[in-house]
Amino acid sequence: MKRIGGLIYLLAIAIVAFLVGCKKDEPAAPAPGAGSAKAPAAAAVGKELNLFAWSEYIPEDVITGFTKETGVKVNYETYASNEEMLSKLLAGGTKYDLIQPSEYVIEALVKQNKLEALDHAKLTNLKNIVADLRDMPHDPGLKYSVPWMVGFVGIVVNTDKVKDPVKGFKDVFQDKYKGRIVALNDNREIVAWAMMTHGIDVNQMTPENLEKVKPTVEKWIKLVKVFDSDSPKTAMMNGDVDIGVVWSGEGAILANTDKKYAFVIPEEGARQYIDNLAIPKGAPNAEGAHLFINYILRPEVSKLVSDKFPYTNPNSEARKLLTPEQLKNPASYPEIKSKQTFRDIGKAASDLDKMVTDLKAAAN
Amino acid sequence: MDVMVELKRVTKRFSGTTAVNEVDLTIRAGEFITLLGPSGCGKTTLLRMISGFETPSEGTVLLEGKDVTYEPPYRRDVNQVFQSYALFPHMTVQENIAFGLKMKKVGRAEMDERVRSAIAMVSLAGMEARKPTQLSGGQRQRVALARAIVCRPKVLLLDEPLSALDAKLRHSMQVELKQLQKKLGITFVFVTHDQEEALTMSDRIAVINKGKIEQLGDADAIYHRPKTTFVANFIGQANILHASVVAREARQARVELEGGLTLTTSEELPEGAERVLVSIRPEKVWIEKERGEGDNWFEATIEDELFQGPTDQLRLKTDGGLTLSALVANESSRRTPVHAGDRVWCHLHHDDIVFVHED
Amino acid sequence: MTPGTGQLPEIQGAQRRPGLRGWLLFAPLMLWLFAFVIAPTAIMFVYSFCQRDELGQVVFEFSLSNYTRVFDKTYLKIFTNSIQYAAITTVICLLVGYPVAYFIGRASEQIRNKLLMLVMIPFWTSFLIRTYAWMSILKAEGPLNGMLLYMQLIAAPLDILYTPAAVVIGLVYSYLPFMILPIYGSVEKLDNALIEAAFDLGAGPVSAFSHVIVPLTRPGIFAGVLLVFIPAIGMFAITDLMGGGRVPMIGNVIQNQFGQARDWPFGAALGMTMLLLFAACFALSMRKSDAA
Repeated sequence: MKRIGGLIYLLAIAIVAFLVGCKKDEPAAPAPGAGSAKAPAAAAVGKELNLFAWSEYIPEDVITGFTKETGVKVNYETYASNEEMLSKLLAGGTKYDLIQPSEYVIEALVKQNKLEALDHAKLTNLKNIVADLRDMPHDPGLKYSVPWMVGFVGIVVNTDKVKDPVKGFKDVFQDKYKGRIVALNDNREIVAWAMMTHGIDVNQMTPENLEKVKPTVEKWIKLVKVFDSDSPKTAMMNGDVDIGVVWSGEGAILANTDKKYAFVIPEEGARQYIDNLAIPKGAPNAEGAHLFINYILRPEVSKLVSDKFPYTNPNSEARKLLTPEQLKNPASYPEIKSKQTFRDIGKAASDLDKMVTDLKAAAN
Repeated sequence: MDVMVELKRVTKRFSGTTAVNEVDLTIRAGEFITLLGPSGCGKTTLLRMISGFETPSEGTVLLEGKDVTYEPPYRRDVNQVFQSYALFPHMTVQENIAFGLKMKKVGRAEMDERVRSAIAMVSLAGMEARKPTQLSGGQRQRVALARAIVCRPKVLLLDEPLSALDAKLRHSMQVELKQLQKKLGITFVFVTHDQEEALTMSDRIAVINKGKIEQLGDADAIYHRPKTTFVANFIGQANILHASVVAREARQARVELEGGLTLTTSEELPEGAERVLVSIRPEKVWIEKERGEGDNWFEATIEDELFQGPTDQLRLKTDGGLTLSALVANESSRRTPVHAGDRVWCHLHHDDIVFVHED
Repeated sequence: MTPGTGQLPEIQGAQRRPGLRGWLLFAPLMLWLFAFVIAPTAIMFVYSFCQRDELGQVVFEFSLSNYTRVFDKTYLKIFTNSIQYAAITTVICLLVGYPVAYFIGRASEQIRNKLLMLVMIPFWTSFLIRTYAWMSILKAEGPLNGMLLYMQLIAAPLDILYTPAAVVIGLVYSYLPFMILPIYGSVEKLDNALIEAAFDLGAGPVSAFSHVIVPLTRPGIFAGVLLVFIPAIGMFAITDLMGGGRVPMIGNVIQNQFGQARDWPFGAALGMTMLLLFAACFALSMRKSDAA
């Protein structure tokens, strides 16, 4: 019987692990009485705010500061990719008050009428957002979203190991760097880089264009040693790779830790990503969400975010509070000639995924 | 007679306890020797050192004069019948019996022939395709036996092979085993704690106690001439009595028991002993109404009578206060009808008073 | 509980229809099974015949296209790839795990429980943490390479992390306990007298192992192989983390459908195909073990 006992023990562990996993996924339900149901009129700020945002993107002191000031408790649930967030949001069942999607997801959500229009009267600090981010194609006039942080996809180089000058993607994906390259584990990214190299608009994800860049992507995939979106800097710092295409935030952290890491904006094109705050349709505490957005738009609060996560801060007033070192970091505030942003590509995402999966499978 | 197995000052210790203590034992070729003793006496350990499952802490084991002390079991020409039979549950009767021959790479034809004859020998014909779980206890026992003898070992070791069988089956298997041994001429080393089994089957018996051989001899000697109180008590019943030597003569001695009873014995007296122990088998006590011829007669009262089937056990008390137990044929067939409360005359033959050592 | 199959015949003797109370005791398990096994599978089954819309939401529009896509050569290659990795993992787990399980199963009770504890301890930490720990061991500037370099066994750091070898190391590490435990169960039940009988009948260690020990521990081996092979096919975290995300396994592809590609119906079709594959494997091996 001992063996049965052992197996039951094992099974119990598995179940517990599973349940713990489940629990993490279950967002804290809004407290009864929160939201519109009970709220009579104007000052209808719920007691709780369900925030669904990227992991490691909102500093703890920002949240505690907000709660301290407003008395609204923040339930911070995290996700690791836009798609994960979308899946959970669209699956329904949970009422989030505030989400943090990237620009192309904002566009898709607006198309599908999944976002609440923002009440600009309540966002008195919205004026702090820099001018060139106010009229982006994904949400002209910031009707539905407010930029949180802006980043770029760029090249990071360990200059101790890579002596040749690196200017763009074509300098990274060379045979001599085979097995020394890290790239984002994102199928759309690598295809976009190839499209930029070919001079194709990254949002023209047509079958013809895919076919055109396929040989390039195929060649590049074979050169890459690690695909990692979550923490590409790790492979770099571990010495497993010497060059890579990563998020600017990751590049900035590397550049801060050691002078040998250089961050380069690719000459073929800089893919800019804008993460935003937005309120999903039917949010129980839209009032609280507005409060939160307005809170983080304050220069001194926004500065806290920049201190912790060195992306490009879209808040012009906050930038004034940053140190010269912070502003000089090329990964945080790069000089860019032509910016590109991702648009929603709808079903083409599926074709693209199949192509890259195919190429990856064939590469081994 | 040829020597088959020789144990020389063999000792086996298990983390602190000594299971077998400096044992010397010579086993002759073709004999049926039994290692008899209570559980935990070391008899199985002794057997396992012959089979090779245990390595002696000290001493040597010789098989046909060859030192096999450190040879693994599979390189010894001995086979064992296990107490639990240890039949391979995933093999049929046929496969179980053929296993040893297969390991020895015996040719197909010869293997079949030998397996067939072994199956015939243990009367299992027709059972070849069965799995052990489909057999009765007695049948499993036979398979275990056939599996061992088919290998034609020099020595067959049997570790309490009959203990799992019911009494009736055990008796018939005892006879069968003995006949089989005679027929095959293989040396049998049989381990048991059942004294009756040992007396029935063995050519010689080694009585083992606390890791030592207390006495080695044939059944008659072990029974009639026990050397120690342990042997006397373990095999059959015995009255063990304190005595003091009164007189020594050429081939006789006179001893005085408790209560002033003086008896003559023909036994060899231990040198220089004054106080001794004597063993008297209860069935050797003669009970008569009248005093008969010769010496060693004394009067006693029957205090108690216990029916035991073929025999009655009597508790006797002499006038001097000595208590003795005696066995007589049961009441209906008794030559001299006596009963509890009767005064009777008791007699002991010289040879039936045996000096024993205390262990 | 597959590993329990060896026990079934013993239990059957005492079989009897459960009364109401029996069903009540049973209810939580049934509920659990329904909520976490049957219902999700049914949902996946329905999804696998659906379509996706622009946003990636499931549209209930019957179609077999997801299944035709499963049999595209891209995915077939990934399937065979995954099976290869799982098979290598299973073989290594068996080769490494069997002696360990055997040793534990034959050890004295006191030592046995301690050793079993050691096998279980890794479960106390998160799987991801353990995987990251392996990554830092294997990385180019990690302790393994450092030690080998220091001992001058190698001239340049070994390239282990982000290679197929690292994936196999990670898989073996993760699944080894699932091989050890069921085999241990079988070994522990093994009557020592049977092994002695084999030795006694002239079988050397190798023959005794192959003719007696292996056949008698087959239920454990079988359970262990199933418990390692099946989850190993679907594993994706290790391939991503330790393999550098270069070698797509079927698990990664499925995960991708529910993530980046936002194509749940296709992911569901892949999942259902895998489920069928497992069921077929299981049925086949059950029939084999019955026949044996």
